[in-house]
Formats: sequence, C-alpha cells, structure tokens
Amino acid sequence: MEQIIQVTILGIGLGGVFALMGSGLSLVFGVMRIVNLAHPSLIIAGAFTAYWGFRLWGIDPLVMLSVATLLLAAIGVLLYKIFFERNAKSATYSEMTVLLTFAIAMIVEGALGAMFSNTQRVTSPSYATDAFFLGDIFIPKGQLYAGMVSMLIIGLLAAFLKYSRLGYAIRATTQNRDAAALLGVNVNMVGLMSFAIGIGLAGAAGALTSFVFSFFPAKHWEWIAVLMSLVVMGGMGSIMGTVVASFALSIVAAFVGAYVGSTWSTMTFFLALFLVLLFRPQGLFGEKPELL
Amino acid sequence: MTSKIVIAVTAAMALAAPALAQDLKIGASLPMTGNFSVSGEKHQQGYALCANLLNADGGLLGRKIDLVVSDNRSDNATAISQYERFINVNAVEAVFGTFSSRLTFPVASILSRYGMVHPIPAGGALRIYTQGYEGLYYLQPNAAEYVGSSLRDMIRDRIAAADAPKTAVIVWADDFFANAVAAGFLGQQVMDPANGSLVADLAPGYLADSGIEVLMQQQWPEEGFNDWLNLANSIKNTKAELIIGLTASAEEASQLTRALQTVRADPKMVYLSQGTQSEYYEAVGNASNGVLVHTSWHPNAPFVGVLGSKPFSNADFIAAFQAEYGFMPDEDSAIPFAVCQTIAQAIEATGSTDNAKLDAWLGARTAAEPVKTILGDFVWDERGLPVGKPFLMAQWQNNGELNFVYPTNAFPGTADLVYPKNGWQ
Repeated sequence: MEQIIQVTILGIGLGGVFALMGSGLSLVFGVMRIVNLAHPSLIIAGAFTAYWGFRLWGIDPLVMLSVATLLLAAIGVLLYKIFFERNAKSATYSEMTVLLTFAIAMIVEGALGAMFSNTQRVTSPSYATDAFFLGDIFIPKGQLYAGMVSMLIIGLLAAFLKYSRLGYAIRATTQNRDAAALLGVNVNMVGLMSFAIGIGLAGAAGALTSFVFSFFPAKHWEWIAVLMSLVVMGGMGSIMGTVVASFALSIVAAFVGAYVGSTWSTMTFFLALFLVLLFRPQGLFGEKPELL
Repeated sequence: MTSKIVIAVTAAMALAAPALAQDLKIGASLPMTGNFSVSGEKHQQGYALCANLLNADGGLLGRKIDLVVSDNRSDNATAISQYERFINVNAVEAVFGTFSSRLTFPVASILSRYGMVHPIPAGGALRIYTQGYEGLYYLQPNAAEYVGSSLRDMIRDRIAAADAPKTAVIVWADDFFANAVAAGFLGQQVMDPANGSLVADLAPGYLADSGIEVLMQQQWPEEGFNDWLNLANSIKNTKAELIIGLTASAEEASQLTRALQTVRADPKMVYLSQGTQSEYYEAVGNASNGVLVHTSWHPNAPFVGVLGSKPFSNADFIAAFQAEYGFMPDEDSAIPFAVCQTIAQAIEATGSTDNAKLDAWLGARTAAEPVKTILGDFVWDERGLPVGKPFLMAQWQNNGELNFVYPTNAFPGTADLVYPKNGWQ
C-alpha cells in the first residue's frame, strides 16, 4: 500500500509540472489555431532565465518565475508581430504554423546555444533535492513546490479567462473567431494577447522545470512529443483537458515505471496519443473543446 | 624562346604557389545540437585547440590545417551524409571521428568504404570493431563492454573482501554505449546486429565475477525519460550496497544523482559511467562526494604526448586549453585532442596525407614506438582497439575534487578511496 501511495505522489508531482508546460501550448492553439512546436524551446528559454538569475545573483527560481514570465511574454509579442499576425486569415494557417514554429524552435535552440553554450544546466535551490518524509513515504519538495505554483498559475489563468473582459473576448474568439469579430471583439489584439500569455506561461513553466529537470538548448525535442500527447488527449485547445491529461498520464506512467519498468513509462504518453487519435481524436473533452 | 620559357616557368610557379600553400582540410561531423550537444561542443573545442596549436607552429607538412566542422544534430543520417560531403565535396584529406557509439557505428561503414583512416574519440561499443572495417583507431582505453573490469579490479584491490559490496542494482540508458557497458557487467552475449552472429560472450560478467548479487536491473529509454524519482525510489527499495548507473551523458548522471539524493538512497558505493564533467559537479554539488566514474583522462596523469614533433604534456594541454577557453577541460575535450595528435603524428611520420599510408603507419605502432598523446601511449590491435590500457577510476571527493583512485601503480597521485560513501551531502 505504501508503494502505491508513493508512486501516486510521484505521478501527481510530475503531472503538476507537465500541466503548466502544456497549458500555454493549449491556450495558443485554442485561440489562434497555432500548433506551436516552438513551445518547449521557449520553456527552455524560461529555464535559462531562471538559471542565470539563480547563478549570478542567487535569486530563487520561484522568484525568477515572474521575470521569466514577463520576458517570454514580451518575446511572444515580438514573435506574433513578426511571424503570425500577417498570416492569421490564411486558409492554411494551422498547417503553416507547424512549419513556422518548427523553424522558430530551431532558431531559439541555436540562439540559446550561441548565448549560453550547449552545456547542461539545472538550478539547485536547497529544496530541489530535498523531500518531506512521512515514515517511509516521501514527498519531493521540488516537485511539490513546482506543482503547487503551477496549479496556482493555472487557477489564476482560469479566473482571468472566466471573469475578465479580455478573458471573455479570448473565449469568444476561441469559440468563433468570425462571430467574435462581428460583435466588436478586436480579434487581432485578442490573438496577440493570447499568444503573449501562452508564451509567458512557457516562461513560467521554464522557471519551474529549471530545478526539476536538467536542461540544455536541444532538450526541447524530448519534450515536444510528451506535451503534444497531453494537449491532444485533453482536447486541442482545452486547458482543463490538458491539466486532467497531465495528471492522469503522469500517474499512469509512474505506475508503469514502478511496476513494469522505466523503459515503458515514457511509452505511456505515446501510447495514449496513439489510442486517443485512433478512438477519440477530439480528445477527452468533446467535439469542440472550450478553453475551460 | 628564352623569354617564352621564363614566362611559362613563372606562370607555372604562380599557378603552383597557391597549390603548395593549400590548406590541409580535415573534416569532423559533430553533434553540436541535439541530445549529444553537450559533448559535441567540447569535442569541437578539443579539435580546434589542437589545430590552432599546430597552425601556430607552422601547420602540418608546411600547410595550415583547415578544420571543417559540421553539426550533425546528433542524427545518424546527417553524420553519414556530412562525412560523404567532406570527402566528395570539401575534398578533406583526413577526418576526425564523431561523438558516441550510436553515431560512430554507421559512420565507420562509410569511412571504411572510402578508405579513410577513422580515429574515434567516442565509440566504445565492441560491435563497431567487429564489422571488418579498415582504418579504425579508438582513442579510449578499451571497448565499452570491458569498462566494468576496472570497477571489479578496484573493488578487489582496494576494499577488504569482508567489506566489499555484496549486492547491486544496475540501471542503464537504452543507448548503444550504456547497453555495451551493461552487457559486460551482466555477462551477456554481444551479437552482431547485421547477421545475429556472436561477437563476444561476456559470461559470467564482472558482477558475478566479484561475487555480487544483482537485486535489480532496469533500463530507461534513450530519450524523453523524466521519471527519475520513481526509478531512484525503486533502487532505494532494494537496499543494494552498490548502485551502478550507466548513464549515456553527464546530464543523465546528474539527474540520477539528484534523484538518489532526494529519495535518500543509502548505498555503500555509487558508480556512474558518466560524470567527470564540471557540469556534473555544478548540477549535483557535494552530493557527488564518493561517486565513482571511469575516465580516459585525468588532469593529474603525467602523460607526455607529441604535438608538432615536440613533446606536449597533459599539463601543457590543460594550460593551453585554459588560455584558449578560460576554463578547465574535461575528458570530452581531452580525448578529441588526442585524436588530433594521432592524425598529426601519422601525417608527419609518413610525410603524406595518403590515408593508406596513414593506416599502415598507425597499424604498425608498437609498445616501443607508440602514438604518444595526452592520454598516454596508444598501440592498437587489428580491430582498432587499444592494447594494454586500463580505464582510470576517478572519485569525487572533498567537495569538488575529482581524484584519481585506480589503478594504484600507474603514476603518482593516487588518492585514498572513500568507502563506504557517506550519504549525499
């Protein structure tokens, strides 16, 4: 029984981190129909921001999270203006963004490598390798803190989308871009803001992952498939679906790792992606998923 | 008539002059991005430093070395096509090997087909050397399958039998190199992937040979593995006295170490197949204390090699590296530097860049007339594996010192072995 509880805790811990990593990806797709393959590379950029804040000035990555969020949101604005805005009305916009964001991912990787070298990094606050022990059961502090902050941010995002005027506009644009525009919503501005928020979430996720996982510029290739499986399983564009999928798959993967073998734990995500695409391609949260 | 001859000779000399001064192109395809980028970048630094030092001393055969490096993105197909491009388009006269067994295995086939000498900095899997390829020269002490012999010998020679670890966990990356090291520890058979024939039978294996019972053995996937805490928890639950973590990169080594620290596993000994790099210490800090790692290079090793026909010691290498890059090198730069030394010595000795002559000269090295590098002397068997070179065992000690602990009689400066490992702080 202890082992089951322990594995569940580890799965939840991992799920909390993945939830934030996937949420920005889901938001950007939900509103803009952008399949952002560059999202994990921007998470790495956020991780580097937190790393250097910690390395140079000893600033805790949980504090650097706000810096990483704002910095990446600003980068998001630039990326949107330069690459996405002019093509937003194209009939093949989503398909086009796959190639475009793939190229951006490679550019971001190259830029990070040029600036910071390809050396592996990890932020090492004292809690990153510490744990709360309850008898034989432990709760890793790093994952616990990262998961709690992740849930807090997603909660704030949900409240923002549900109760703010901009949130209404974002949800309206997600449901029907043309109808929202007819009703006076500035869909270009909504797109810009959504993209900036989505990329800002990548920055926040980067700060949190900086002490949970080690990273280097090329690490994003390992994350994109996992994140896509979470977003697809949750229903492309559904933040809540992404959160549910993150916890569900992480817990299942933890049990697979503990009872079947580590080789198969990563396979869990890909198997889920395969099964969802085969039997329920719209994801867990319906034909036309809502953001929340 | 005379004036015509003078003009013709002058013209010929004018045309010949650039050819005489033509740079000596050497190609290297390295994983500068992708999963092996951490090591790829360091390999590039090792190669570039060696070429720069040779060029500062007049180059090779009076020609400046033009090092052509391409990023293969850690991708097999790209590495193959880049070496073909080096030969067919760039017209390189020699090549330096790439990083990792996974990339080296297919590259070895291509370079053999073109008759190029293939000096290998990182490609330890035994299968690479049993395909019948010509011109392979490995610049680490031995094939990966035999790495475990150093740990076995160290336990036998440096720990009283009664205190030696009796139980072990062995976990490893599903990677060409790590699989090979695991095969040696577990006494597995190594099969040729092409035809299924037996390459080597490693039974009973170094762990059985040491009387160590294996309580758990498990692989993790080569890419995308994140569940380190779960793995560490499973390891901890076995209560094994020896933890063997066969990581394919320093990044994996730090992930595993941090996870073991978090779950408070308490083994007597931890051995990793990667982790000599400064990045490893930066990532895990003093949790590294007591961690053992095998290595091909150590800063204290008093080896004296040759560079540009002059003696060039390991200490010279460290000084030159620090002057060039501003930080200490590790084996990921030292090994490629030795690769470059090897080719440079072959070219100078033969006075040629004819790869058949280079191959013949390198293959004819003997203990009395070896290739001399900062990793020590090298002589190879017919497969291209070094003869008579043990791996060095190093241990992180005293909050950040990577001390050399085995073998004890190779050279001065052997530190006491810290055993048992005292926690993770």
